Amino acid sequence: MTSQPTEATFEYDASVIGVEVPLGTFDITPERVAGYLKATGETNLLYTDEAAAKASPYGGLIVPPGILQTVSLTGAPNAKVKFGNFAMHSGQRMEVMGPIRVGDAISVAADVKEVYAKTGRSGTMVFEVRRNTFRNQHGETVAVSEMSMVHRQAGGG
Amino acid sequence: MADQRYFEDVEPGDEFNESWTPTREAVIGYLTVGNAEAGNTASRFTSDEEAKKIGMAKAIVPGAFSLVMASRVVADWMGPEGKLHSIDVDFRRPVLHDDTLNILALVTDTLEDDGVPTVKLDVYLENERGERPVQGTALVELPKRG
Repeated sequence: MTSQPTEATFEYDASVIGVEVPLGTFDITPERVAGYLKATGETNLLYTDEAAAKASPYGGLIVPPGILQTVSLTGAPNAKVKFGNFAMHSGQRMEVMGPIRVGDAISVAADVKEVYAKTGRSGTMVFEVRRNTFRNQHGETVAVSEMSMVHRQAGGG
Repeated sequence: MADQRYFEDVEPGDEFNESWTPTREAVIGYLTVGNAEAGNTASRFTSDEEAKKIGMAKAIVPGAFSLVMASRVVADWMGPEGKLHSIDVDFRRPVLHDDTLNILALVTDTLEDDGVPTVKLDVYLENERGERPVQGTALVELPKRG
């Protein structure tokens, strides 16, 4: 582990920052899309009605980009932040670049975007931002997702 | 199909909302889209017992599920020619199974950066306890009339 001493006195593995690791492929199958539409109660005809979707700017059925938030692949890099005694999922971001369609094979690459500290009235918190980049079988980036983890000392400090 | 919303018809202060109750069935359905085994694995997202071990009152809803539900409400509001560019939320409190939630969105700005008709929104989830466990922003592009 590469120690990165800072004024907040935390350590993390800086060698993983910005280094993409391929996690595998997430296939957009009809079964997955049906499960996603059911779980989210999605009824938008862009996703559910072939004729209506064909008349749309997309020219055919597309898939809600949120389906990529369900991806569960192991092997993502971890900055191994050493700070505090408590960590939680503090935020989530999704940027959408292009349409996703049934039959797409979405490759997933993960990296740690950044690690940084913030100090406020409740004490110091260390944020680790983990990023997934989703590319289709044509190599086009269709979405980027970021998950923020916050590390802190429970009870302040 | 949801009606098309046009850039000219949107003003800061416009609001829309939709109610949502995340049931255990829906949470498991969401999790199993990306991991077929998730429904068979006890976790803080599927089991009250596991959630209580980490101090939660009952099983919690994955943060990403709250994000996609907010994005769904925004997408429905936009109509078929709208484009969701980004959505970004912070988790302030846990969302619990069977919470009665109101997903709200508020238009905060309309602008045409580089000729692209863009709308900024604040998005929130409110629960029956008066809390806003999830809040954030979204950036969407709407078509112009004619």
